[in-house]
Amino acid sequence: MTTQDLIEKLGLKALSKFEHRNVDGVFVSDMLSDVMAGAKSGNLWLTVQTHKSIVPAANLVDVSAIVITSGKDIPQETTDLASKYNIAILSTELPTFDLVGKLYGLGVGAK
Amino acid sequence: MSECQSYGSCGHQWEMTNIQFGFVVFEKCFHCNGLRTYFSMEDVAILGDKYREGDHFWSRVENAQSFRFDLQCTRCGHLEKFEDMMGLLHCTGCLPDCEVEIQRKKYEAERTWILVAFGFLPKSKAEPIPPGKLDILTDYFNQRRDTSRSRIKIISFNLIEDLSRCRGDFIHDVGMLSLEPPKERKPLF
Repeated sequence: MTTQDLIEKLGLKALSKFEHRNVDGVFVSDMLSDVMAGAKSGNLWLTVQTHKSIVPAANLVDVSAIVITSGKDIPQETTDLASKYNIAILSTELPTFDLVGKLYGLGVGAK
Repeated sequence: MSECQSYGSCGHQWEMTNIQFGFVVFEKCFHCNGLRTYFSMEDVAILGDKYREGDHFWSRVENAQSFRFDLQCTRCGHLEKFEDMMGLLHCTGCLPDCEVEIQRKKYEAERTWILVAFGFLPKSKAEPIPPGKLDILTDYFNQRRDTSRSRIKIISFNLIEDLSRCRGDFIHDVGMLSLEPPKERKPLF
């Protein structure tokens, strides 16, 4: 499964410039420290955090994409920084729980 | 001494261990304007707490939810302790003449992203985290990523000439008690 597949299947909105890549597992957290300690390379990171510091955290652990759930407004400086680092920022109106269910249904689970 | 330390042939594969979640606490002395930081596992860290310690009048100015960890080699078991590390800072390029910014530009041309490691203050100003440990941290992050896309390089905050002018962005959790993240973060130094 790639980021492009997920965008198409789940109607996710791409907000930054990035190259599509394989998605390998899902990590759900709203704490940067939790992500740095526990996320794995290729994970799809689901969060409601929108501060620009999510980008260096995502870059550090090499997640395949950040998905901002619950239709949160995302500052332009966050998406600009993500584009600079080739990090995918995707958004959805779905709450995290619903998105997790849909991802599970597609066979994308925790890694 | 483990075998790999003796012969240097292990080619360490690092994994994070001894993870402890807590707070990085920032305190300022309103007498000398000094700054000190430390890690606390208190459940509730209260901003504004003041106390006297000798000539210093410390006031807690910021708490950031954070974690500390060690790295252990999965092959030989060698443990590298990182209890002296406060956190990582993302350089925002605020000062064109800063050595960190110069290094950032140089490495980004090679698709290598710079992050700045901080030790706890003020101790780490005199005793910086050894470069060898920063190289281990660099190895840890690169070992678990697709390095054909990009790499990580961890450098020391001692390259920042004047912390009071630094507007870099710490990768830590602030404002976690609010549903909305803070619009702007206060400079920490």
